[in-house]
Amino acid sequence: MGPIIEDKLLVFRCKRGSKEALTQIYEKYKRDLLLLAVALLNDVSAAEDVVHDVFVSFVEALEKFRLTGSLKGYLLTCVANHARNKNKAIQRQLTSTSNPGEAIAENSDEPSVLTACNEQLQRLSEAMAQLPYEQREVIMLHLQATMTFNAIAKAQAISVNTAKSRYRYGLERLRTILNEEAEK
Amino acid sequence: MNSADKLKKLINKSEIQISSQTDKRILGDAFERMDELRQDRQAGTGVNIWRIIMKTKITKMAAAAVIIVAVLIAIHQLAGNGASAVYASVVEQLHNARTMTYSLITQMNIENVPTVRVDMAFKEPGYMRITTTDGYLTAIDWAQNKGISILPTRKQFIEFEATNYQHDPAQDPFAVIENLRTLPSRADAELGEKEIDGRLLQGFRVIEEGVINTVWVDPRTGELARVVMEFPDAPGMSVIMTDFQFNVELDDSLFSLTPPEGFERVEIQADVSEVTEQDLIGYLRAWSSWTKDGTFPPTLAGMQLPKVAMEMEKQGKFGEGQTTQEQRERDQLIMYRGMMFVYQLPAESNWRYAGENVSYGDADTPIFWYRPAGSENYRVIYGDLTVEEVLPEDLPR
Repeated sequence: MGPIIEDKLLVFRCKRGSKEALTQIYEKYKRDLLLLAVALLNDVSAAEDVVHDVFVSFVEALEKFRLTGSLKGYLLTCVANHARNKNKAIQRQLTSTSNPGEAIAENSDEPSVLTACNEQLQRLSEAMAQLPYEQREVIMLHLQATMTFNAIAKAQAISVNTAKSRYRYGLERLRTILNEEAEK
Repeated sequence: MNSADKLKKLINKSEIQISSQTDKRILGDAFERMDELRQDRQAGTGVNIWRIIMKTKITKMAAAAVIIVAVLIAIHQLAGNGASAVYASVVEQLHNARTMTYSLITQMNIENVPTVRVDMAFKEPGYMRITTTDGYLTAIDWAQNKGISILPTRKQFIEFEATNYQHDPAQDPFAVIENLRTLPSRADAELGEKEIDGRLLQGFRVIEEGVINTVWVDPRTGELARVVMEFPDAPGMSVIMTDFQFNVELDDSLFSLTPPEGFERVEIQADVSEVTEQDLIGYLRAWSSWTKDGTFPPTLAGMQLPKVAMEMEKQGKFGEGQTTQEQRERDQLIMYRGMMFVYQLPAESNWRYAGENVSYGDADTPIFWYRPAGSENYRVIYGDLTVEEVLPEDLPR
């Protein structure tokens, strides 16, 4: 059975109320979803919250949900959307905090960031954290979710050219960051 | 290695440990939400609608199985020949059902056309059986993609393969029934209680996609008892689904693909390759050759078509003359494949048919258009059966 058919059957069973099917979807894609969220937010706890919210929203949307493409692509796009909102909320929180440095320090002290991710993911999310959020999103959706620029543009309500520029600028900046890191 | 490749490599090597507590929190909350939503729906409908699935399309899909059965039954009535492998293949899309049985009763309300009853049975993991009251039997095993049709009056059997048909979960027979169960939740009218076959049932009327559905539910259990489908474009015609039974014991032998002793094997040259646009064109060409004025079918809506075809037959609109059994079987297959092409088109294809009263050869009149998957342009079939690709803004209004 092909992956799309398999996912369609899982979604279909979820619609019929199968918790087992929902568990299978979660187990199948949780790593990809969490990895994307960590790369976008550089914060494991926030990333877990995003994946949590995506799954609860997925359940809420099931009645009207119709799978037309890849389920993984759909869920990754949801993660990107939720992560964008989460990022805005974090930014608002940071700007409203009297001592922003304190808030950042609290976040960076979060032990799960250090223990949950391997070295590569830490490098990835730290490098990504140095990019504007919009660039991170395009890069990750294109490279991890293998979404086309057309699809990304549609999902983010931007033009294809903007999506491509964000990708290009982000990638250039990342090259510098990763090279600097390698030289250290 | 360029930066994109380096980054991809980094992504691929990235790993994250997800604690069991996190799994528990995410899944636990999702399950809880699932339960809450189910309870809300049940409370909202007032009947025990215990599962809600896609609201759109399914009725159409429910119709799809019925439609083709009805069409082929209609052709069978018109031409007077027996069901063939084509009849067997009408059920190819219903698979993966749990154990379930029900009956389909098709009434045409046309003189001398009898009511036809078909009994359906499904069993996991993909067994299906259709029987008619005159003993025709079709069994399919989806695990093997094989089926058999048994024609008792002729003491013949036909074996067929079903490998090339698309498996769409939305066409799962259980999904079809599940959708019918949810119809009361979007009822246009409540019909109150009525005693039918000794049971006090609660009625709902729902008009969806050009079909008037009257659904009768047992108010004590919420179980579906009877569904009557009527078609405004084919007055008097109705399809009744009744005698639903779920999780009943069905012996595997009912779905056996072994022919009865002493029956003769019939070889059928049936083309079971994937249906394409050419099949629809073939069907349109064939239909125009059957009509005296060379016109195309008045509708592609299969449910109405049997009735429409019968009316046309009564009015003498079809050509006369004898056809051979072989020719009739070929025509059935052409019709079946052409209609299957249309049924398999997804909603996003935005297909439209405008062939009523158009005759074959009319090169200026578009009769059918649709958007193929992944394309931004439309394919338009004209009355001379040529095809052109056009931009969405250039589509016929």
